[in-house]
Amino acid sequence: MQDRPTSVELLEAAADFVDRELVPATEGARQFQARVVANVMRIVAREIKMEDPLVRSEVKALARLLGHDAPHLHSLDDLRAAAAGMGEELTAKIRAGEADDGGWRGEVLAVVRQSVEDKLRIANPRYLESDLAIRNAAKPQKEI
Amino acid sequence: MEKMEPGEMVRRLTGFIRSEGRFDSVTIENLRKMPGGASREIWSFECAMERGGETSRRAMVLRRDPGAHNISTNRRHEFMVIRAAFEERIPVPEVFWVSEDPAVLGSAFFIMERIDGETLARRLLRDDTYARAREVMPAQLAEILAKIHRIDPVKHKLDFLEEPGDNAALTEVRRYQENFRVLALEPHPAFELAFRWLLKRVPKMARKTLVHGDYRIGNVVFGPEGVRSILDWELAHLGDPMEDVGWMCVRAWRFGNDQKPVGGLGSREDFFHAYEKASGAAVDPEAARFWEVFGNLRWGIITIGQARTHIDGFLKSVELASIGRRTAETELELLNLIE
Repeated sequence: MQDRPTSVELLEAAADFVDRELVPATEGARQFQARVVANVMRIVAREIKMEDPLVRSEVKALARLLGHDAPHLHSLDDLRAAAAGMGEELTAKIRAGEADDGGWRGEVLAVVRQSVEDKLRIANPRYLESDLAIRNAAKPQKEI
Repeated sequence: MEKMEPGEMVRRLTGFIRSEGRFDSVTIENLRKMPGGASREIWSFECAMERGGETSRRAMVLRRDPGAHNISTNRRHEFMVIRAAFEERIPVPEVFWVSEDPAVLGSAFFIMERIDGETLARRLLRDDTYARAREVMPAQLAEILAKIHRIDPVKHKLDFLEEPGDNAALTEVRRYQENFRVLALEPHPAFELAFRWLLKRVPKMARKTLVHGDYRIGNVVFGPEGVRSILDWELAHLGDPMEDVGWMCVRAWRFGNDQKPVGGLGSREDFFHAYEKASGAAVDPEAARFWEVFGNLRWGIITIGQARTHIDGFLKSVELASIGRRTAETELELLNLIE
């Protein structure tokens, strides 16, 4: 058991310092790198906070899509390995043409979209938000 | 890359330019390495050249391969393509000399005119200074692209350019599929779905032309008045001109300005129309869409490759590392395009 601050609090403190102190004190390529550093630290902070529930639901969704029983896994490492393994199984089916058309294609697209959106929730939530805004604006009627 | 003292570099460069240009004397000032260019070193300098009592001065840029392990003929090829474009009055830097002799500067390089101006797309899309440029650039870029596609490879002796065969689109898709298989460290079902989509929709090549290969606003030098110069010709090849049209529409070059799909500057329809007017060739929207999907996929694979450059230790860089987490942006765009 570690003392406070938590890992997330430490990372956010460091990222705030880079944003507030280093970015204004640098310019050109170095300033760009400083922004990248702060961004990377915020990605890691979000991942620490959100990875566990996201990878759990991804494993569940992949198992359902591929017709497997939902595995009972606890450690993050096991969950990641299960997601990767079933991801390979899914890509093999896509390569074999099984998701080219038909009813299963819709299910595949939904699960894949969910996984991609979950990656963006950690890597770039603003990108995801603006994408959702554009899509909602583009097709207001048919979607519920 | 072996380190070379700046003084030594100036000395060698001076000797090279004097002998290449048959000058009586050459003076190089203010040699400095420019930021960016992970795959290529860029140096800037001022050059005074004297012959028969007459002195001329030019601002110059030197593009050098990063290491001796990477000796290739690409520098000469890029040099010759830019020269062809210059002769066809396409806005590009004037190129002066090329060398593939590692004895000169350690690796292949070429020297060209320095074009002053801005290259940061974010400034173009946001700053008031570039309001006029934003208006005129979509049509300018379409007209320039039409000119690029009119360059005659035979007339300009560009016979080194790779022949794509009868089916440039299929050749490109297969090539990137192989790259992807080698580079990807984890499953990417969105990319697999995109490859399937592309393979079912391979368009017939209406024309075979010179293709710039990296035609996007990040490779344009611009000023408040509009386009000044087109850079980065190292990926030029023969193929389907619609490849450049589709690449221009890739989402990553919009920097959030998604309501304007062409580089964050304008609509596809206006861009296609301006290109058709300038080239006299029709843009098939289906083919353009194929190449836009391909372009997004290609960019996604490039992001994986850039992350691998860091992960494999070839070039450790927080920027390259962070690009690995941008792959998902492209995956989302591909799902939007193919669903």
